[in-house]
Amino acid sequence: MNIDITDLTRRFGRTQAVAGVDLRTGAGVFGLLGPNGAGKTSLLRMMATVLPPTSGRLRLLGRDPGSYGPRREIRRRLGYLPQNLGYYPGFTVAEFVEYFALLKDMPPGQVPRAVAAAVGQVGLGDKARAKLRTLSGGMLRRAGIAQAIVNGPELLLLDEPTAGLDPEQRVAFRALLRDLGQRATVIVSTHLVEDVGAACTEVALMDAGKLVFQGTPDELIARGEGTGAAGDAPLERGYSAVLAAARSTTAAA
Amino acid sequence: MTAATAAPVRHRTPRATSAIPLNAARLLRIELRRNAMPWILPLIAALFWFDSYRPSTGTAQLYGLRTFWNMGQGHTIIDFGPFVAGVAAWMGSRDGRRGLADLVTVTARPRWAAQLATWAATTIWAVAAYLVFVGVMFAWYAHQSVGGTPPWWWVAVGATAVTAFSAVGFAIGAYWPSRFAAPVAAFIGFLAMALSSQTGFNYTSGWGLILPTNSNGTFDGNAQADSGIFYPWLPDLPIARIIFLAGIAVAALGLTGLPARAGGPWLRRAATVVTLAGVALAGTAVGLADTARLSAHGMVIPALHGAANDEPIAYTPACGRAAGMPVCLNPAYRRWLPDVTAALAPALAEVAGLPGAPVHAIQVAAAYPSGGSGPPQVITLGGHPPVLRLSLGQLDMPGPCGFCGGPIATELFTEQLRLAFAHAFVGMGNGSGSPVQQAVQAALLRGAGIPFAAQPRLLAAAKNGPGAAAGPATGPVYAAARGLATLPAAAGHAWLAAHLAALRAGRLTLKELP
Repeated sequence: MNIDITDLTRRFGRTQAVAGVDLRTGAGVFGLLGPNGAGKTSLLRMMATVLPPTSGRLRLLGRDPGSYGPRREIRRRLGYLPQNLGYYPGFTVAEFVEYFALLKDMPPGQVPRAVAAAVGQVGLGDKARAKLRTLSGGMLRRAGIAQAIVNGPELLLLDEPTAGLDPEQRVAFRALLRDLGQRATVIVSTHLVEDVGAACTEVALMDAGKLVFQGTPDELIARGEGTGAAGDAPLERGYSAVLAAARSTTAAA
Repeated sequence: MTAATAAPVRHRTPRATSAIPLNAARLLRIELRRNAMPWILPLIAALFWFDSYRPSTGTAQLYGLRTFWNMGQGHTIIDFGPFVAGVAAWMGSRDGRRGLADLVTVTARPRWAAQLATWAATTIWAVAAYLVFVGVMFAWYAHQSVGGTPPWWWVAVGATAVTAFSAVGFAIGAYWPSRFAAPVAAFIGFLAMALSSQTGFNYTSGWGLILPTNSNGTFDGNAQADSGIFYPWLPDLPIARIIFLAGIAVAALGLTGLPARAGGPWLRRAATVVTLAGVALAGTAVGLADTARLSAHGMVIPALHGAANDEPIAYTPACGRAAGMPVCLNPAYRRWLPDVTAALAPALAEVAGLPGAPVHAIQVAAAYPSGGSGPPQVITLGGHPPVLRLSLGQLDMPGPCGFCGGPIATELFTEQLRLAFAHAFVGMGNGSGSPVQQAVQAALLRGAGIPFAAQPRLLAAAKNGPGAAAGPATGPVYAAARGLATLPAAAGHAWLAAHLAALRAGRLTLKELP
């Protein structure tokens, strides 16, 4: 298992952002769905070793990120795209990606080729020498994805990766996700259920800090059948049905 | 986006240790290329021109005087420091301001390492600019044939100060990632310089000598003009200041490695040690400065002093003749050789052939006062055969004078040199002499072309002179001097030949004058 999480919690003062999550997954594309404030980003930041958990057990790529040495090894094999991606406006796309490749301790000889490959994969090959300040929001997002995948990560964490991408780019990105999922664990946190349906082999749904569903996209669709839940697509109906069930259970308790 | 055509490069082999310097060099290259420091350099260049270079051109063409303002009083540091601190704070706050702190933190390389690369690039730009600006200024001095040797140790102090400002500014930015970090750091830098200057003026000894804008010591006093001409610039105080400023820089950089996200526990422990080492370095330097004492050629710190720096600099003198007597100066003073020979010629002609008259004049290094009584003499006479020793560094040479209130006229220099000669010839030493010595001095000056009426003003104005009050040339001394001056030249010469030894010994009275 590349991700092995048991009873993981994270508190911010009185607010419990993540409340006892259990999750195990290996290679493949894993979709993390949920409404705003469900705890997706907090869970992702813990998996990215940005945030330490308040309690629970977290093992990534077979290592404990609580210790410095293993955490460094995890980070060397990690790709992360935060929800709010910052950037250095004066850097070119290639420099931005190279900068993170170097910080990820890639072997120096591999860096130029890896940078060119990552930039090409996100469709910014012709913009490699463009300053980041000149790029559109979608292009910046793609530059962010390029820095996340430049080191060929074994664990790739993407928070809202398709935000700002146009439909054509989104389709291409889903293909890229499927390809990356062949050999790595890719966690995609998103609001967009069509991304999940198109690219994910497994999906989890979070609400109020808890995992309320984990299964395949087909299983999520099945949850929505015959329930009369709101939604234009089968996945959306499944999403709505699971959320409604979870909330009624919570209310009853 | 392409899914299958270009798979990302995967690396699973352990990272070789040799990769660290190469990766660091590439990081540094990117940081150098995209650093904010070059944008501020035109402003610093303009300030440097107006504040550091231009005022210096008003001083005489000697390195010790030319660099008093920009090196001694630290104006090159003042011009750079606040701006460098501000830009460094801007760079230090970059990751926080840009929302990249998370992304930089979750990379394999400790965040401290990434920050150090950013800081190093910022500092390389600043220090390189400092060295280029100072280098151009010194090259221009060389083009203007400024005499002596450049004070390289003081340049090193300036470069270290720029490094320290960069480190402190960067630490402020790293701890306070706000757009206001840069102006606040610049203001703190400016305040530090103002305090350094104000405090430094009050300290001619003790710990205050460590302050980088304190000109007291090497750049103040009689030997200032001759620094780096007869003896090397003493590196003792500059070394102490370099240690002090390097300590501040090291401590500031260490501080940036203390936060939890800077790196692992081992690295943070190292950062703690680095911080403490920096504080210890700075403290040691303050202690060293406290032991400094003024020697003949500059500030000496016993623990740092090297005997090699007390060795005179070898040179081939530039020689001319005055009243047939060879007059030799240090080549740094070559431009003033005609003024010196012209000034000495009539005075030497008056005493030519007397038993105690000099046969040769040489220039000697001006020395700092070291507890002796009265101001050191500009000219001394001694030895067998008698040799005139000219300590020209104590005089304002003809031409631009910088902070003297105007250029020095050749006439004033000539009068001062003749006064110094007459003073030495009659054996008045460091004091104002006996009445009869004063009378003979007045008569000699009269014979050398300085009327009695002009002499009180000259005595009052003479640099390092007796400091007599200006007034009318009256009284018993001037009456006696007038009597001596009315004698025919041969008679006056004969009287001096007969009484010179007694005159110098102070055994004569005014009544014994002819």
